Amino acid sequence: MAEPLLSLRKVTAGYGEAVVLHDVSLEVPENGSLAVLGRNGVGKTTLLLTIMGFTHLRGGSLAWRGRDISRLPPHRRAAGGIGWVAQEREIFPSLSVEENLIVASRPGAWTLAMTYKLFPRLAERRRNMGHQLSGGEQQMLAIARALMTNPALMLLDEPFEGLAPVIVEELVAAIKTMLAGGSIAIVLVEQHTDIALELTSEAVVLERGAVAHRAASKDLQKDLPTLDRLVGLRVATST
Amino acid sequence: MLPPIFGVLFDGFAYGMLLFLLSVGQSVTLGMMNFINLAHCSFAMLGGYVTVLLVNRYGWPFFAALPIAFLAAALASVAFERTLYRRLYRASDLDQVLLTIGITFISVAAAAYIFTTAQQPLQLPAYLRGSLSFMGLDFAVYRLILIGIALAITALLVACLEYTRFGAKIRAAVDNERMARGLGIDVDRAFALTFALGSGLAGLGGALAIEIVGLDPSFAFTYLVYVLIVVSVGGLGSIGGSFAAAAVLGISDIAGKYYVPQLGAFLIYLVMVGLLMWRPAGLFGKR
Ligand SMILES: Nc1ncnc2c1ncn2[C@@H]1O[C@H](COP(=O)(O)OP(=O)(O)O)[C@@H](O)[C@H]1O
Ligand SMILES: [Mg+2]
Repeated sequence: MAEPLLSLRKVTAGYGEAVVLHDVSLEVPENGSLAVLGRNGVGKTTLLLTIMGFTHLRGGSLAWRGRDISRLPPHRRAAGGIGWVAQEREIFPSLSVEENLIVASRPGAWTLAMTYKLFPRLAERRRNMGHQLSGGEQQMLAIARALMTNPALMLLDEPFEGLAPVIVEELVAAIKTMLAGGSIAIVLVEQHTDIALELTSEAVVLERGAVAHRAASKDLQKDLPTLDRLVGLRVATST
Repeated sequence: MLPPIFGVLFDGFAYGMLLFLLSVGQSVTLGMMNFINLAHCSFAMLGGYVTVLLVNRYGWPFFAALPIAFLAAALASVAFERTLYRRLYRASDLDQVLLTIGITFISVAAAAYIFTTAQQPLQLPAYLRGSLSFMGLDFAVYRLILIGIALAITALLVACLEYTRFGAKIRAAVDNERMARGLGIDVDRAFALTFALGSGLAGLGGALAIEIVGLDPSFAFTYLVYVLIVVSVGGLGSIGGSFAAAAVLGISDIAGKYYVPQLGAFLIYLVMVGLLMWRPAGLFGKR
């Protein structure tokens, strides 16, 4: 019964001839939460792209609820329940805010009304075009858009990057509300180590495309030497 | 009393609407899918021959043949898309040009083999051949109907692209194909449908063109030139742009032949060069 929602077995992947990820294995249970930490360029984004099916998979396999999805094209993975929030947000610029949400929508608990309730600012700006939004609003829209697909797993790629602290707080609160619903798992890639570990229960740290460390998030929070060695200390300076 | 210029404008606009039907699909495939389909007018020609067969040989009413012309071109394009085009989406421009120009040559040869190189006469009912008098000028019924069909299709296309979920998906896929896939949109299918729709409209244009410009196997090449002019002047991927460009070019072509017959069919090229020097990306083009 304890079939994981998503599991990666010895995944080796990259772009064309370039190999970025080496032998990465990990699991995310239903409603689980996993932080993916590591310095710039270690392969965090590549890991998420590999889960979506956008990279060249050279070895290993991925399974979704026990079924192999290694060869499944990205749109079928998304339709199967993986929601993706890209690092660059990638809002569709020539679609309005509401159209950005509608193109992604699939039946489920997250309707347009529910999503607007979570992000009231988006409701105010529903008629604006995608390219007229501030960075914080774009991030809200990217998360809201992924929610509209009613995913069982949400992949978040540095959602707090480059945002003002008040906006970060707002987003953290929204993600907590989203998780409190109890029907969604997340993989959270973050440079804000403290926030990432607070929002998740498990964590992995990547180094040069491989898993260098695994721990429960609350243990890793206290393990300053490891964090210092593998992530570099943002922890000490941020709140 | 209306001066004759209104008659020239009317004929020119009707001709422009024909060019619009023939080219809007090409504009969409080039602009949205970045696929260079030089066989576009072969699908138009197919629509023309299907109509000739149904009307002349099987005695179908002209208006009943039009949807079949649309369907035949759309289905043929899907067959080509599935088997050949799809393999070349990521190939170089040259590969796409070579494949599709080859298909055009084959279609021309096939049409000449089956239907001979003679012009195909189309037996239209008398009421379509008549004209309406209005303030001293005669307006051909057929051209009025052609304009009506083209306007209705323009409205339908714009509404479909701007106000439906399918249209929004197409625009999303054009904006950012990877993100669209990542949200579960079947981009290949959306593009294939768009391609079929564009080819179907070309087939409809081919059927409607017979009465205005005739039909013989050279159609696939002759009108390819006009279509490419409309697409480059209008701007890639822009329905409004294709519409405006087709209207301007249709009117200047007819006006040129009427007022400066020495220049004859050459004026349309001068207009193209002028417009492209003024707006290199086309009237409504973004790139
Ligand atoms: N499209 C690409 N083609 C080739 N190499 C890439 C591409 N994207 C990223 N890389 C390389 O893969 C490595 C990991 O990048 P990335 O996954 O973006 O790291 P992170 O998200 O952890 O900062 C880097 O060395 C980067 O240069
Ligand atoms: Mg990254």
